[in-house]
Amino acid sequence: MAARSPSTAPPAGNRAEPAGNRAELIELDALGPAGPYRSRNRLPITDLAGVPLAELSLVPSLYVHRAIAALRAAEPLPAADRLAALTRAGEAFTTETIGGLSVDAYAHAVSRISGMPIQIVRHATETTRRALLDAGRDARQARPMASVDDWHDPATRGGRAVWTRRGEVFAVHASGNHPGVHALWPQALALGYRVAVRPSRREPLTAHRLITALRAAGFGPDQVAYLPTDHTVADEIISAADLSMVYGGDDVVAKYGADPTVLVQGPGRSKILLAGENWHQHLDTLVDSIGDEGGTACVNATAVFTDSDPGGLAAALAERLAAIPTLPPEDDRAVLPCQPTKQAAALERFLLDHAAGTTPHLGGTGITDPVAGGGVALRPAVFQVDRADAAQTGIELGFPCVWVAPWSPADGIGPLRNSLVLTALTHDERLLDQLVDDPTIRNVYVGDHPTYWMRPDVPHDGYLGEFLMRTKTVLRD
Amino acid sequence: MTTLHPNSILDGPADHIPDETDLIEAAMRWHFDPRTGSRFWLDQADTLGFDPREDIHTVDDLARFPNIVDRLRYVPAGDLIPRGYAGQDDAVYGVYDSGGTTGPPKRVVFMTDWMQRLLVHTDQEMDERDYPRRVDWLALAPGGPHMFGAFVRESVRRRGRLGFTVDLDPRWVKKCIATGRGDQAEQYADHIVAQARAVLESQDIGVLITTPPLLERLVRDEELHKLIADRVQVIEWGGAHLDPDTRYLLRTEVFPHNRMVGRYGSTMILASAIERDGLAPDAPCVFDSFSPYVTFRVVDPETGEPVPYGSRGRVVMNHVSKSALLPNNLERDEATRIEAPPGRPGDSVADVAPVAMFGDSPVIEGVY
Repeated sequence: MAARSPSTAPPAGNRAEPAGNRAELIELDALGPAGPYRSRNRLPITDLAGVPLAELSLVPSLYVHRAIAALRAAEPLPAADRLAALTRAGEAFTTETIGGLSVDAYAHAVSRISGMPIQIVRHATETTRRALLDAGRDARQARPMASVDDWHDPATRGGRAVWTRRGEVFAVHASGNHPGVHALWPQALALGYRVAVRPSRREPLTAHRLITALRAAGFGPDQVAYLPTDHTVADEIISAADLSMVYGGDDVVAKYGADPTVLVQGPGRSKILLAGENWHQHLDTLVDSIGDEGGTACVNATAVFTDSDPGGLAAALAERLAAIPTLPPEDDRAVLPCQPTKQAAALERFLLDHAAGTTPHLGGTGITDPVAGGGVALRPAVFQVDRADAAQTGIELGFPCVWVAPWSPADGIGPLRNSLVLTALTHDERLLDQLVDDPTIRNVYVGDHPTYWMRPDVPHDGYLGEFLMRTKTVLRD
Repeated sequence: MTTLHPNSILDGPADHIPDETDLIEAAMRWHFDPRTGSRFWLDQADTLGFDPREDIHTVDDLARFPNIVDRLRYVPAGDLIPRGYAGQDDAVYGVYDSGGTTGPPKRVVFMTDWMQRLLVHTDQEMDERDYPRRVDWLALAPGGPHMFGAFVRESVRRRGRLGFTVDLDPRWVKKCIATGRGDQAEQYADHIVAQARAVLESQDIGVLITTPPLLERLVRDEELHKLIADRVQVIEWGGAHLDPDTRYLLRTEVFPHNRMVGRYGSTMILASAIERDGLAPDAPCVFDSFSPYVTFRVVDPETGEPVPYGSRGRVVMNHVSKSALLPNNLERDEATRIEAPPGRPGDSVADVAPVAMFGDSPVIEGVY
């Protein structure tokens, strides 16, 4: 997708598009300290067929630094006002017309732009409402029991830990794989941070809608900002903010992993282990773990390890997943994610190249299937690998794609490491001890629970509050 | 100035602008006459496939020349001096390097008569733009080996009082960034800002010369921003591109009461083009060249043909004077083609930017 470079804006009077077409574009202005800002450098945001639906105002580094300086200079709202505003914003986000878009129009646009099935968008909208309603409570789950929220607490008279912010401005490099990613960072607002979000160009609508709602609900323009930038300016947001959260793959982990001011939300590579279990009894959970949320989430299962009959399991998964229909994303019954044809073709090539030497059970000849209105659905894929440590089990793709691997106790937990979620269908207590102890496995679900199970009051990849806050002693007379 | 080969057009008064055809024809006679031309040009006269003295009359005709600038990385720079200057004292002002962004640096020789001509012209441009006289300047600019430092020094000598300088080495910064040592580039920039701060805090600076990235860094500090906004009358930026959004913010929000003037220079034209006077903050940033000595064309790089006015294309630069001939150099920059001021040859250029980068490279693996 070609960013319209700053300078490609021709002189006034020579702008190419007729006014009639422009008026229908969704204008995604930056939301800075002086309100909405429409830049000259705007990125066309197109739908699956390549039709422009929106225009994203990309701001330069000067704007970023001035915006973040304004956020830092601002006082947070009082705690109670923050929580009330979050609740109001959540209601508005889910029910009101914001920036000219009704809830339905918003969900439709997100599905057409990102290819996300519309029911998933609607579900994420509701999830976000609840996340905003409970942001204060959820954020405080991370507070050490020995600490208090406020230094005015009588407990500090004798000396007490107080839970305090590690900084003032929190920046988020959001991802565009799932609208639900915007349910997490509002906890930072609840904790009194001022927040700057750089949206993903793959799906810049949700953050714009949410931040517009937050502003209408009482967070001033110096409390929360929407700062779209091109990739050359992206780092400036991180360097200007006190703390940041960045979503990305291995490259992002390599770049920011050692930076203590950056919380990296890296690859999920969620997995399922069946040890001493009859997989026939868990097929529903397996299929759901692979395909729920269109397979787009970091909590979708990327690999399934079994100590019995991997071939039979792969065949059964393939049969179930093959029954999912191909539908355009705006169809209420759509389950599979869609992508523009060219992008999907590259993904398909990548998959087939990397699947060489494995046994295909589904998708071995390709995974793209055209949908009405342009673009293609990404159809499920099931490949069987012949060893537990096959490199493919770490290949996580944004659609229902699973690698089925044999596993035996001799393989140990090595192949199960580096997982956001590990669902362990086993009664082997010693194995479970090892899995829970392993620092690279961030969540362990024991028994028949899908990998995508989440509840806002339990950690997703640790609590956000663990990163945003610290304790300090306050002793007073 | 005495010269052994006086030429009524090439040696005309410094404040006289010759006619396009007169200049180009006289320059061709000069550069391709075995008695006056440089070794560099005389050596390749036979390979051109045309006779410049017969066939080249206008700026458009310069497009027939090959682009020779890559050879300036390797040739002995002395071979660039036209022989016609031989025996003349103080004929050479200096030898300077290009930035070296695209490989080993290219070298050019700056002759004293050209510096004089350029300074007289620049003085007029600065008068037209109300640059104050007899104030102190601060230039955050490379000293050697680039020509810009010398040019600023001469400008201050002509019309300013004290010229404060903070040296910088753009090649080191580029090298740091290219080799993934962005933190070192950051430290270097901080080092420059700290030096600038020391001058700005203690001296009354009326003219500030800087690059857009350094200006951005200066204003990130609210105290420095205020110092500049309160004291500096003219902020002249150049040496790097300034995107229209940043320019608008600088002019409307950061420095609404200061004058900001852009300069688009290149070692390969031995000069720079100044921002057209009186442009609104939201208008395209138009640069007019010192024609007919220095001319631009904006072309489709595939065909070499001019793009329509108002369209984007690649910038081609020409320098034609007694001191040098550097024709038909296709630069890396893109610009909007704008009509030159009435009666002046070539194009003006607007919103200059490096050749557009197209998005991020596709990331396939992963869900983000």
